[in-house]
Amino acid sequence: MSDPVDLNTVEHVARLARLELTAEQAAESARHLASILKYVDQLSELQIANDVEPFFGATEMINAIRPDVVCESTARETILDNAPDSDGEFYRVPPVFK
Amino acid sequence: MNISELSAFDIVKHVAAGDVTAVDVAQHYLNAIEADDRRYRSYLCVTRDQALASAEDIDRRRAAGKTLGPLAGLPVAIKDGLCTQGVATTAASKMLESFVPPYNATVVQKLADADAVMLGKTNLDEFAMGSSTENSAFEPTKNPWNTDHVPGGSSGGSAACVAGRLAPVSIGSDTGGSIRQPASFCGITGLKPTYGRVSRFGLIAFASSLDQIGPMSVSARDTALTMSVISGHDDRDSTSARQPVPDFCAELEKPLAGLKIGLCREHLDAELPADVQGAINEAIKVFKSLGATTTDIHLPHSPYGIAAYYVIASSEASSNLARYDGVRYTMRAEAETLEQMYGRTRTEGFGPEVRRRIMLGTYALSSGYYDAYYIQASKVRRLIKDEYESALNSVDVILGPTCPSTAFRFGENTKDPLAMYLADIFTVTSNLAGNPGISIPCGLGDDGLPIGLQLQGRPFDEATLLRMAHQFQQQTDWHLRRPQS
Repeated sequence: MSDPVDLNTVEHVARLARLELTAEQAAESARHLASILKYVDQLSELQIANDVEPFFGATEMINAIRPDVVCESTARETILDNAPDSDGEFYRVPPVFK
Repeated sequence: MNISELSAFDIVKHVAAGDVTAVDVAQHYLNAIEADDRRYRSYLCVTRDQALASAEDIDRRRAAGKTLGPLAGLPVAIKDGLCTQGVATTAASKMLESFVPPYNATVVQKLADADAVMLGKTNLDEFAMGSSTENSAFEPTKNPWNTDHVPGGSSGGSAACVAGRLAPVSIGSDTGGSIRQPASFCGITGLKPTYGRVSRFGLIAFASSLDQIGPMSVSARDTALTMSVISGHDDRDSTSARQPVPDFCAELEKPLAGLKIGLCREHLDAELPADVQGAINEAIKVFKSLGATTTDIHLPHSPYGIAAYYVIASSEASSNLARYDGVRYTMRAEAETLEQMYGRTRTEGFGPEVRRRIMLGTYALSSGYYDAYYIQASKVRRLIKDEYESALNSVDVILGPTCPSTAFRFGENTKDPLAMYLADIFTVTSNLAGNPGISIPCGLGDDGLPIGLQLQGRPFDEATLLRMAHQFQQQTDWHLRRPQS
Protein backbone atom coordinates (compact mmCIF):
# COMPACT_ATOMS: atom_id res chain seq x y z
CA MET A 1 0.00 0.00 0.00
CA SER A 2 2.81 2.45 0.77
CA ASP A 3 4.55 3.96 -2.21
CA PRO A 4 8.22 3.07 -2.49
CA VAL A 5 10.08 5.75 -0.63
CA ASP A 6 12.27 7.28 -3.31
CA LEU A 7 14.67 10.13 -2.84
CA ASN A 8 12.22 12.62 -4.39
CA THR A 9 9.74 11.79 -1.64
CA VAL A 10 12.46 12.12 1.00
CA GLU A 11 13.49 15.50 -0.41
CA HIS A 12 9.88 16.67 -0.45
CA VAL A 13 9.26 15.60 3.14
CA ALA A 14 12.56 17.09 4.28
CA ARG A 15 11.62 20.40 2.69
CA LEU A 16 8.23 20.36 4.45
CA ALA A 17 10.01 19.58 7.72
CA ARG A 18 12.67 22.24 7.13
CA LEU A 19 15.48 19.72 7.50
CA GLU A 20 18.58 20.15 5.33
CA LEU A 21 19.70 16.52 4.94
CA THR A 22 23.02 15.43 3.47
CA ALA A 23 22.93 12.80 0.71
CA GLU A 24 23.86 10.15 3.27
CA GLN A 25 21.17 11.31 5.71
CA ALA A 26 18.60 11.33 2.90
CA ALA A 27 19.49 7.76 1.91
CA GLU A 28 19.27 6.62 5.54
CA SER A 29 15.94 8.39 5.87
CA ALA A 30 14.60 6.60 2.79
CA ARG A 31 15.59 3.27 4.32
CA HIS A 32 14.08 4.05 7.70
CA LEU A 33 10.86 5.42 6.26
CA ALA A 34 10.48 2.34 4.07
CA SER A 35 10.98 0.05 7.04
CA ILE A 36 8.58 1.81 9.40
CA LEU A 37 5.93 2.39 6.72
CA LYS A 38 6.01 -1.30 5.88
CA TYR A 39 5.34 -2.00 9.58
CA VAL A 40 2.52 0.52 9.93
CA ASP A 41 0.86 -0.65 6.72
CA GLN A 42 -0.83 -3.31 8.85
CA LEU A 43 -3.19 -0.50 9.89
CA SER A 44 -4.40 -0.06 6.33
CA GLU A 45 -5.25 -3.75 6.13
CA LEU A 46 -7.74 -3.41 8.97
CA GLN A 47 -11.39 -3.33 7.96
CA ILE A 48 -12.83 -0.55 10.07
CA ALA A 49 -16.55 0.21 10.06
CA ASN A 50 -17.56 3.53 8.51
CA ASP A 51 -19.13 4.80 11.70
CA VAL A 52 -15.87 4.61 13.70
CA GLU A 53 -14.84 8.19 14.43
CA PRO A 54 -11.13 8.92 14.83
CA PHE A 55 -10.05 9.61 18.43
CA PHE A 56 -7.59 12.45 18.86
CA GLY A 57 -7.02 12.03 22.56
CA ALA A 58 -7.79 13.96 25.71
CA THR A 59 -11.16 13.94 27.30
CA GLU A 60 -12.78 15.34 24.19
CA MET A 61 -13.63 18.54 25.96
CA ILE A 62 -14.67 21.45 23.82
CA ASN A 63 -12.50 24.55 23.83
CA ALA A 64 -11.36 25.35 27.35
CA ILE A 65 -11.42 29.13 27.36
CA ARG A 66 -10.60 31.86 29.84
CA PRO A 67 -11.83 35.43 30.20
CA ASP A 68 -10.08 37.80 27.79
CA VAL A 69 -8.35 39.82 30.50
CA VAL A 70 -4.83 41.22 30.33
CA CYS A 71 -2.59 39.71 33.02
CA GLU A 72 1.01 40.23 33.94
CA SER A 73 3.24 38.30 31.60
CA THR A 74 6.97 37.61 31.40
CA ALA A 75 9.29 40.61 30.96
CA ARG A 76 10.59 41.13 27.44
CA GLU A 77 14.26 41.15 28.52
CA THR A 78 13.81 37.81 30.27
CA ILE A 79 12.31 36.23 27.18
CA LEU A 80 15.03 37.68 24.96
CA ASP A 81 17.68 36.07 27.19
CA ASN A 82 17.09 32.96 25.10
CA ALA A 83 17.22 34.77 21.75
CA PRO A 84 19.99 33.65 19.40
CA ASP A 85 20.12 37.23 18.08
CA SER A 86 18.17 40.25 19.18
CA ASP A 87 18.22 44.05 19.04
CA GLY A 88 16.86 44.21 22.57
CA GLU A 89 13.31 44.50 21.37
CA PHE A 90 12.85 41.93 18.62
CA TYR A 91 14.35 38.66 17.48
CA ARG A 92 16.70 39.43 14.58
CA VAL A 93 16.71 37.00 11.65
CA PRO A 94 17.92 36.87 8.03
CA PRO A 95 15.47 38.70 5.73
CA VAL A 96 12.19 36.97 4.95
CA PHE A 97 11.94 38.78 1.62
CA LYS A 98 15.00 39.52 -0.43
CA MET B 1 19.03 7.86 61.46
CA ASN B 2 20.08 6.28 58.18
CA ILE B 3 18.68 8.74 55.67
CA SER B 4 19.26 6.38 52.73
CA GLU B 5 16.80 3.91 54.29
CA LEU B 6 14.03 6.49 54.68
CA SER B 7 11.07 6.43 52.33
CA ALA B 8 9.71 9.74 51.03
CA PHE B 9 6.85 9.31 53.47
CA ASP B 10 9.32 8.90 56.36
CA ILE B 11 11.47 11.85 55.27
CA VAL B 12 8.45 14.14 55.32
CA LYS B 13 7.33 12.79 58.69
CA HIS B 14 10.75 13.13 60.33
CA VAL B 15 11.45 16.62 58.96
CA ALA B 16 8.05 17.80 60.19
CA ALA B 17 8.75 16.29 63.62
CA GLY B 18 12.19 17.83 63.81
CA ASP B 19 13.97 14.43 64.01
CA VAL B 20 16.15 15.39 61.06
CA THR B 21 16.78 18.69 59.31
CA ALA B 22 15.94 19.37 55.68
CA VAL B 23 19.57 20.37 55.22
CA ASP B 24 20.78 16.99 56.51
CA VAL B 25 18.48 15.17 54.11
CA ALA B 26 19.47 17.34 51.14
CA GLN B 27 23.17 17.06 52.03
CA HIS B 28 22.90 13.28 52.24
CA TYR B 29 21.54 13.05 48.71
CA LEU B 30 23.94 15.64 47.31
CA ASN B 31 26.83 13.64 48.79
CA ALA B 32 25.46 10.40 47.33
CA ILE B 33 25.18 12.03 43.89
CA GLU B 34 28.75 13.31 44.19
CA ALA B 35 30.00 9.84 45.12
CA ASP B 36 27.97 7.60 42.83
CA ASP B 37 26.56 9.43 39.84
CA ARG B 38 29.81 9.21 37.91
CA ARG B 39 28.86 5.54 37.54
CA TYR B 40 25.26 6.06 36.45
CA ARG B 41 25.26 9.53 34.82
CA SER B 42 21.62 9.97 35.77
CA TYR B 43 21.81 13.75 36.40
CA LEU B 44 22.49 16.31 33.67
CA CYS B 45 22.67 19.07 36.23
CA VAL B 46 22.77 19.13 40.04
CA THR B 47 21.28 22.24 41.63
CA ARG B 48 23.39 22.03 44.76
CA ASP B 49 23.29 25.63 46.01
CA GLN B 50 19.62 26.01 45.27
CA ALA B 51 18.81 22.72 47.04
CA LEU B 52 20.71 23.72 50.18
CA ALA B 53 19.15 27.21 50.16
CA SER B 54 15.65 25.71 49.91
CA ALA B 55 16.45 23.25 52.68
CA GLU B 56 17.86 26.00 54.95
CA ASP B 57 14.74 28.05 54.37
CA ILE B 58 12.54 25.10 55.35
CA ASP B 59 14.54 24.53 58.56
CA ARG B 60 14.33 28.25 59.38
CA ARG B 61 10.57 28.32 58.90
CA ARG B 62 10.11 25.17 60.93
CA ALA B 63 12.11 26.65 63.79
CA ALA B 64 9.94 29.78 63.61
CA GLY B 65 6.81 27.68 63.93
CA LYS B 66 5.58 28.42 60.39
CA THR B 67 3.39 25.91 58.54
CA LEU B 68 5.36 23.73 56.16
CA GLY B 69 4.17 22.28 52.86
CA PRO B 70 3.07 18.63 52.62
CA LEU B 71 6.40 17.51 51.10
CA ALA B 72 8.64 19.69 53.27
CA GLY B 73 12.27 18.57 53.00
CA LEU B 74 11.65 15.86 50.39
CA PRO B 75 14.41 15.85 47.77
CA VAL B 76 13.10 15.40 44.23
CA ALA B 77 14.87 14.97 40.89
CA ILE B 78 13.17 16.43 37.81
CA LYS B 79 13.38 15.04 34.26
CA ASP B 80 15.08 17.60 32.05
CA GLY B 81 12.04 17.88 29.80
CA LEU B 82 10.24 19.94 32.45
CA CYS B 83 10.92 23.69 32.56
CA THR B 84 12.62 24.95 35.68
CA GLN B 85 12.89 28.72 36.03
CA GLY B 86 16.47 29.92 35.90
CA VAL B 87 17.83 26.38 35.57
CA ALA B 88 18.98 24.98 32.24
CA THR B 89 16.35 22.77 30.59
CA THR B 90 17.74 20.93 27.62
CA ALA B 91 15.37 18.06 26.79
CA ALA B 92 18.75 16.27 26.33
CA SER B 93 19.10 18.01 22.97
CA LYS B 94 21.80 20.19 21.43
CA MET B 95 18.95 22.38 20.23
CA LEU B 96 18.23 23.47 23.81
CA GLU B 97 21.67 23.02 25.35
CA SER B 98 21.74 26.69 26.40
CA PHE B 99 18.03 27.19 27.03
CA VAL B 100 17.09 28.60 30.43
CA PRO B 101 13.31 28.76 30.92
CA PRO B 102 11.82 31.97 32.31
CA TYR B 103 9.14 30.01 34.17
CA ASN B 104 8.47 26.82 36.11
CA ALA B 105 6.36 23.98 34.80
CA THR B 106 3.19 23.72 36.87
CA VAL B 107 4.37 20.42 38.39
CA VAL B 108 7.70 22.02 39.34
CA GLN B 109 5.88 24.97 40.91
CA LYS B 110 3.52 22.70 42.84
CA LEU B 111 6.46 20.70 44.22
CA ALA B 112 8.21 23.93 45.23
CA ASP B 113 5.04 25.25 46.86
CA ALA B 114 4.81 21.95 48.77
CA ASP B 115 8.39 22.59 50.04
CA ALA B 116 9.99 19.73 48.15
CA VAL B 117 13.70 20.30 47.49
CA MET B 118 14.87 20.01 43.87
CA LEU B 119 18.18 18.14 43.58
CA GLY B 120 18.67 18.61 39.85
CA LYS B 121 17.60 17.66 36.32
CA THR B 122 17.82 14.13 35.05
CA ASN B 123 18.83 12.64 31.71
CA LEU B 124 16.41 11.45 29.06
CA ASP B 125 16.20 10.38 25.44
CA GLU B 126 16.31 13.55 23.33
CA PHE B 127 12.89 15.26 23.34
CA ALA B 128 11.60 12.16 25.16
CA MET B 129 11.94 10.07 21.99
CA GLY B 130 13.36 6.70 22.87
CA SER B 131 13.22 3.66 25.13
CA SER B 132 16.78 3.47 26.45
CA THR B 133 18.16 7.00 27.09
CA GLU B 134 20.77 6.14 24.42
CA ASN B 135 19.29 8.98 22.35
CA SER B 136 20.39 11.65 24.80
CA ALA B 137 22.53 14.15 22.89
CA PHE B 138 24.90 14.33 25.85
CA GLU B 139 25.58 10.87 27.20
CA PRO B 140 23.75 7.66 28.04
CA THR B 141 22.63 6.83 31.56
CA LYS B 142 23.56 3.41 32.98
CA ASN B 143 21.27 0.97 34.75
CA PRO B 144 22.42 0.80 38.40
CA TRP B 145 21.66 -2.95 38.44
CA ASN B 146 24.22 -3.59 35.71
CA THR B 147 25.98 -0.69 34.04
CA ASP B 148 26.33 -2.61 30.74
CA HIS B 149 22.56 -2.40 30.45
CA VAL B 150 20.26 0.50 29.67
CA PRO B 151 18.02 2.04 32.34
CA GLY B 152 15.18 2.25 29.82
CA GLY B 153 13.71 5.45 28.46
CA SER B 154 12.86 8.05 27.90
CA SER B 155 12.88 8.81 31.68
CA GLY B 156 16.08 6.79 32.15
CA GLY B 157 17.80 9.36 34.37
CA SER B 158 14.77 9.68 36.62
CA ALA B 159 14.57 5.90 37.00
CA ALA B 160 18.30 5.36 37.54
CA CYS B 161 18.65 8.05 40.20
CA VAL B 162 15.90 6.49 42.32
CA ALA B 163 17.22 2.95 41.80
CA GLY B 164 20.73 4.15 42.62
CA ARG B 165 19.47 5.92 45.77
CA LEU B 166 20.42 9.32 44.44
CA ALA B 167 16.90 10.68 45.02
CA PRO B 168 13.92 9.28 46.93
CA VAL B 169 11.45 10.54 44.34
CA SER B 170 11.82 11.72 40.77
CA ILE B 171 9.48 13.14 38.16
CA GLY B 172 9.29 11.59 34.71
CA SER B 173 7.05 11.86 31.67
CA ASP B 174 5.33 9.10 29.71
CA THR B 175 4.18 9.30 26.10
CA GLY B 176 4.38 5.63 25.06
CA GLY B 177 5.78 4.07 28.24
CA SER B 178 8.58 6.43 29.21
CA ILE B 179 7.87 6.27 32.95
CA ARG B 180 6.71 2.67 33.22
CA GLN B 181 9.34 0.97 31.07
CA PRO B 182 12.37 2.54 32.83
CA ALA B 183 10.65 1.87 36.16
CA SER B 184 10.40 -1.78 35.12
CA PHE B 185 14.02 -1.93 33.93
CA CYS B 186 15.33 -0.26 37.12
CA GLY B 187 13.16 -2.08 39.66
CA ILE B 188 11.20 0.92 40.89
CA THR B 189 7.58 2.13 40.94
CA GLY B 190 6.44 4.46 38.16
CA LEU B 191 2.95 5.79 37.50
CA LYS B 192 1.54 7.25 34.30
CA PRO B 193 -1.61 9.09 35.42
CA THR B 194 -4.80 9.35 33.39
CA TYR B 195 -4.39 11.82 30.55
CA GLY B 196 -5.40 15.20 31.97
CA ARG B 197 -4.82 14.29 35.63
CA VAL B 198 -1.52 16.19 35.81
CA SER B 199 -0.91 19.51 34.07
CA ARG B 200 1.42 19.43 31.07
CA PHE B 201 2.14 23.17 31.29
CA GLY B 202 5.90 23.57 31.15
CA LEU B 203 6.60 20.05 29.86
CA ILE B 204 8.51 20.38 26.60
CA ALA B 205 5.96 18.85 24.29
CA PHE B 206 6.60 15.67 22.33
CA ALA B 207 3.09 14.38 21.51
CA SER B 208 0.44 16.57 23.09
CA SER B 209 -2.40 14.04 23.15
CA LEU B 210 -0.19 11.34 24.68
CA ASP B 211 2.27 13.06 27.07
CA GLN B 212 1.71 12.79 30.82
CA ILE B 213 3.94 13.67 33.76
CA GLY B 214 4.13 11.25 36.69
CA PRO B 215 6.07 10.26 39.82
CA MET B 216 8.80 7.62 40.07
CA SER B 217 9.81 6.30 43.47
CA VAL B 218 10.57 3.23 45.55
CA SER B 219 6.99 2.50 46.60
CA ALA B 220 3.32 2.94 45.82
CA ARG B 221 2.87 4.96 49.01
CA ASP B 222 5.60 7.43 48.07
CA THR B 223 4.05 7.64 44.61
CA ALA B 224 0.62 8.36 46.13
CA LEU B 225 2.08 11.08 48.36
CA THR B 226 3.61 12.81 45.33
CA MET B 227 0.50 12.35 43.17
CA SER B 228 -1.65 14.19 45.68
CA VAL B 229 0.58 17.25 45.24
CA ILE B 230 1.15 17.28 41.49
CA SER B 231 -2.36 16.42 40.30
CA GLY B 232 -5.18 18.78 39.54
CA HIS B 233 -6.76 21.07 37.00
CA ASP B 234 -4.58 23.87 35.64
CA ASP B 235 -5.97 26.85 33.71
CA ARG B 236 -2.74 27.00 31.76
CA ASP B 237 -3.19 23.48 30.33
CA SER B 238 -6.37 23.41 28.30
CA THR B 239 -6.28 19.60 28.24
CA SER B 240 -6.14 19.26 32.01
CA ALA B 241 -9.17 17.61 33.55
CA ARG B 242 -11.52 19.16 36.08
CA GLN B 243 -11.86 15.88 37.98
CA PRO B 244 -11.56 16.34 41.74
CA VAL B 245 -8.27 15.04 43.13
CA PRO B 246 -8.75 12.42 45.86
CA ASP B 247 -6.28 11.97 48.70
CA PHE B 248 -4.34 9.22 46.98
CA CYS B 249 -2.99 7.93 50.31
CA ALA B 250 -6.41 7.56 51.97
CA GLU B 251 -7.46 4.17 50.60
CA LEU B 252 -4.12 2.40 50.26
CA GLU B 253 -5.06 -0.11 52.98
CA LYS B 254 -8.61 -0.84 51.80
CA PRO B 255 -8.84 -4.62 51.32
CA LEU B 256 -8.64 -6.03 47.81
CA ALA B 257 -11.38 -8.61 48.37
CA GLY B 258 -13.80 -8.46 45.49
CA LEU B 259 -11.45 -6.71 43.08
CA LYS B 260 -11.57 -8.23 39.60
CA ILE B 261 -8.30 -8.45 37.69
CA GLY B 262 -8.39 -8.81 33.91
CA LEU B 263 -5.66 -10.85 32.22
CA CYS B 264 -5.27 -9.69 28.65
CA ARG B 265 -4.88 -12.74 26.44
CA GLU B 266 -3.27 -10.78 23.62
CA HIS B 267 -0.46 -9.77 26.00
CA LEU B 268 -0.07 -12.94 28.03
CA ASP B 269 -0.25 -15.36 25.11
CA ALA B 270 2.60 -13.54 23.37
CA GLU B 271 5.94 -15.28 23.60
CA LEU B 272 7.26 -14.03 26.91
CA PRO B 273 10.61 -15.16 28.31
CA ALA B 274 10.10 -17.84 30.96
CA ASP B 275 11.48 -15.71 33.80
CA VAL B 276 9.10 -12.83 33.03
CA GLN B 277 6.16 -15.21 32.68
CA GLY B 278 7.10 -16.90 35.96
CA ALA B 279 7.30 -13.61 37.87
CA ILE B 280 3.92 -12.49 36.54
CA ASN B 281 2.32 -15.81 37.51
CA GLU B 282 3.72 -15.52 41.05
CA ALA B 283 2.38 -11.98 41.29
CA ILE B 284 -1.08 -13.14 40.24
CA LYS B 285 -0.98 -15.65 43.12
CA VAL B 286 -0.19 -12.84 45.56
CA PHE B 287 -3.19 -10.81 44.40
CA LYS B 288 -5.43 -13.86 44.65
CA SER B 289 -4.20 -14.46 48.20
CA LEU B 290 -5.33 -10.90 48.97
CA GLY B 291 -8.85 -11.66 47.80
CA ALA B 292 -8.81 -10.54 44.17
CA THR B 293 -10.14 -12.74 41.40
CA THR B 294 -8.88 -13.05 37.83
CA THR B 295 -10.63 -13.43 34.52
CA ASP B 296 -9.55 -13.36 30.89
CA ILE B 297 -10.23 -10.22 28.90
CA HIS B 298 -9.50 -9.28 25.35
CA LEU B 299 -8.09 -6.13 23.80
CA PRO B 300 -8.27 -7.34 20.19
CA HIS B 301 -6.73 -4.26 18.59
CA SER B 302 -3.86 -3.93 21.07
CA PRO B 303 -1.42 -5.67 18.68
CA TYR B 304 -1.90 -2.65 16.40
CA GLY B 305 -0.95 -0.27 19.20
CA ILE B 306 2.68 0.21 18.21
CA ALA B 307 1.80 1.02 14.61
CA ALA B 308 -0.93 3.46 15.62
CA TYR B 309 1.30 4.99 18.29
CA TYR B 310 4.26 5.64 16.03
CA VAL B 311 2.11 7.28 13.36
CA ILE B 312 0.26 9.47 15.85
CA ALA B 313 3.16 10.34 18.15
CA SER B 314 5.48 11.16 15.24
CA SER B 315 2.78 13.28 13.59
CA GLU B 316 2.23 15.29 16.74
CA ALA B 317 5.97 15.55 17.30
CA SER B 318 6.53 16.92 13.80
CA SER B 319 4.11 19.69 14.67
CA ASN B 320 5.42 20.36 18.20
CA LEU B 321 9.04 20.49 17.11
CA ALA B 322 8.36 22.93 14.27
CA ARG B 323 9.02 25.77 16.70
CA TYR B 324 12.72 24.90 16.90
CA ASP B 325 13.80 26.91 13.91
CA GLY B 326 16.71 29.03 15.09
CA VAL B 327 14.56 32.12 15.74
CA ARG B 328 13.73 32.01 19.44
CA TYR B 329 15.29 29.13 21.34
CA THR B 330 19.00 29.84 21.74
CA MET B 331 20.53 27.66 19.05
CA ARG B 332 21.05 29.02 15.53
CA ALA B 333 23.32 27.55 12.86
CA GLU B 334 25.53 29.63 10.55
CA ALA B 335 23.38 30.65 7.61
CA GLU B 336 22.92 33.42 5.06
CA THR B 337 19.29 32.89 4.16
CA LEU B 338 16.26 32.22 6.29
CA GLU B 339 15.73 28.83 4.65
CA GLN B 340 19.30 27.83 5.45
CA MET B 341 18.88 29.02 9.04
CA TYR B 342 15.85 26.78 9.49
CA GLY B 343 17.29 23.78 7.69
CA ARG B 344 20.78 23.84 9.23
CA THR B 345 19.66 24.69 12.75
CA ARG B 346 17.22 21.81 12.74
CA THR B 347 19.52 19.27 11.13
CA GLU B 348 22.39 20.19 13.45
CA GLY B 349 20.27 20.67 16.55
CA PHE B 350 18.23 17.47 16.36
CA GLY B 351 19.70 13.99 16.77
CA PRO B 352 19.02 11.09 14.36
CA GLU B 353 16.00 9.62 16.16
CA VAL B 354 14.31 13.01 16.47
CA ARG B 355 14.91 13.65 12.75
CA ARG B 356 13.52 10.18 11.93
CA ARG B 357 10.30 10.84 13.81
CA ILE B 358 9.88 14.32 12.36
CA MET B 359 10.26 12.83 8.88
CA LEU B 360 7.76 10.05 9.60
CA GLY B 361 5.27 12.46 11.15
CA THR B 362 5.59 14.99 8.35
CA TYR B 363 5.02 12.23 5.79
CA ALA B 364 2.00 10.86 7.66
CA LEU B 365 0.38 14.29 7.80
CA SER B 366 1.23 15.37 4.28
CA SER B 367 -1.30 15.83 1.52
CA GLY B 368 -2.26 12.51 0.00
CA TYR B 369 -1.18 10.49 3.03
CA TYR B 370 -3.08 12.14 5.89
CA ASP B 371 -6.17 9.94 5.58
CA ALA B 372 -4.30 6.72 5.00
CA TYR B 373 -1.93 7.17 7.91
CA TYR B 374 -2.93 9.74 10.53
CA ILE B 375 -6.71 9.36 10.29
CA GLN B 376 -6.52 5.59 9.95
CA ALA B 377 -4.25 5.38 13.02
CA SER B 378 -6.67 7.65 14.91
CA LYS B 379 -9.57 5.34 14.07
CA VAL B 380 -7.57 2.39 15.40
CA ARG B 381 -6.94 4.55 18.47
CA ARG B 382 -10.72 4.86 18.90
CA LEU B 383 -11.07 1.07 18.74
CA ILE B 384 -8.30 0.59 21.32
CA LYS B 385 -9.92 3.13 23.64
CA ASP B 386 -13.34 1.51 23.29
CA GLU B 387 -11.86 -1.91 24.05
CA TYR B 388 -10.29 -0.60 27.27
CA GLU B 389 -13.64 0.86 28.28
CA SER B 390 -15.44 -2.37 27.53
CA ALA B 391 -12.88 -4.55 29.34
CA LEU B 392 -12.89 -2.26 32.38
CA ASN B 393 -16.68 -2.60 32.61
CA SER B 394 -16.24 -6.24 33.56
CA VAL B 395 -12.95 -5.97 35.49
CA ASP B 396 -11.46 -3.29 37.73
CA VAL B 397 -7.89 -3.46 36.54
CA ILE B 398 -5.83 -5.10 33.80
CA LEU B 399 -2.62 -6.94 34.82
CA GLY B 400 0.36 -7.98 32.74
CA PRO B 401 4.09 -7.50 32.25
CA THR B 402 5.29 -3.93 31.73
CA CYS B 403 7.93 -5.02 29.20
CA PRO B 404 8.59 -8.10 27.08
CA SER B 405 12.05 -8.43 28.66
CA THR B 406 14.44 -7.18 31.31
CA ALA B 407 16.78 -4.26 30.48
CA PHE B 408 18.69 -4.89 27.27
CA ARG B 409 22.36 -4.07 26.70
CA PHE B 410 23.65 -0.84 25.24
CA GLY B 411 23.67 -1.00 21.47
CA GLU B 412 21.41 -4.06 21.33
CA ASN B 413 18.47 -2.24 19.74
CA THR B 414 20.12 0.76 18.12
CA LYS B 415 20.79 -0.73 14.69
CA ASP B 416 17.12 -1.17 13.88
CA PRO B 417 14.83 1.62 15.15
CA LEU B 418 11.83 -0.65 14.73
CA ALA B 419 13.32 -3.20 17.16
CA MET B 420 13.57 -0.42 19.75
CA TYR B 421 9.95 0.63 19.13
CA LEU B 422 8.69 -2.89 19.86
CA ALA B 423 9.94 -2.63 23.47
CA ASP B 424 6.88 -0.44 24.15
CA ILE B 425 4.33 -3.06 23.12
CA PHE B 426 2.57 -3.30 26.50
CA THR B 427 2.67 0.36 27.40
CA VAL B 428 1.61 2.37 24.33
CA THR B 429 -2.04 1.37 24.37
CA SER B 430 -2.80 3.16 27.63
CA ASN B 431 -1.28 6.36 26.26
CA LEU B 432 -3.47 6.02 23.16
CA ALA B 433 -6.58 5.41 25.25
CA GLY B 434 -5.71 7.84 28.08
CA ASN B 435 -6.03 5.28 30.89
CA PRO B 436 -3.63 5.28 33.86
CA GLY B 437 -0.94 2.62 34.29
CA ILE B 438 1.56 1.77 37.02
CA SER B 439 4.67 -0.41 36.90
CA ILE B 440 5.96 -2.09 40.06
CA PRO B 441 8.85 -4.53 40.49
CA CYS B 442 7.73 -8.17 40.78
CA GLY B 443 10.88 -10.22 40.39
CA LEU B 444 14.39 -10.53 39.07
CA GLY B 445 15.22 -12.13 35.73
CA ASP B 446 17.71 -14.93 35.12
CA ASP B 447 20.15 -12.13 34.34
CA GLY B 448 19.60 -10.55 37.77
CA LEU B 449 17.79 -7.58 36.28
CA PRO B 450 14.38 -6.36 37.51
CA ILE B 451 11.06 -7.52 36.08
CA GLY B 452 8.10 -5.13 36.12
CA LEU B 453 4.39 -5.77 36.53
CA GLN B 454 1.92 -3.35 34.99
CA LEU B 455 -1.55 -2.55 36.28
CA GLN B 456 -3.83 -0.48 34.06
CA GLY B 457 -7.06 1.04 35.28
CA ARG B 458 -10.12 3.09 34.56
CA PRO B 459 -9.73 6.79 33.77
CA PHE B 460 -9.08 8.74 36.96
CA ASP B 461 -8.92 5.57 39.06
CA GLU B 462 -5.22 5.85 39.99
CA ALA B 463 -6.33 5.16 43.58
CA THR B 464 -7.16 1.51 42.77
CA LEU B 465 -3.81 1.02 41.05
CA LEU B 466 -1.96 2.54 44.01
CA ARG B 467 -3.95 0.46 46.48
CA MET B 468 -3.19 -2.80 44.69
CA ALA B 469 0.47 -1.86 44.27
CA HIS B 470 0.80 -0.86 47.93
CA GLN B 471 -0.66 -4.10 49.23
CA PHE B 472 1.45 -6.16 46.83
CA GLN B 473 4.44 -4.31 48.28
CA GLN B 474 3.35 -5.24 51.79
CA GLN B 475 3.32 -8.94 50.85
CA THR B 476 6.56 -8.94 48.84
CA ASP B 477 9.91 -7.19 49.03
CA TRP B 478 10.87 -6.80 45.35
CA HIS B 479 10.51 -3.03 45.64
CA LEU B 480 13.06 -2.99 48.48
CA ARG B 481 15.72 -4.91 46.58
CA ARG B 482 18.66 -2.79 45.59
CA PRO B 483 21.46 -3.21 43.12
CA GLN B 484 24.71 -4.31 44.76
CA SER B 485 26.66 -1.13 45.48
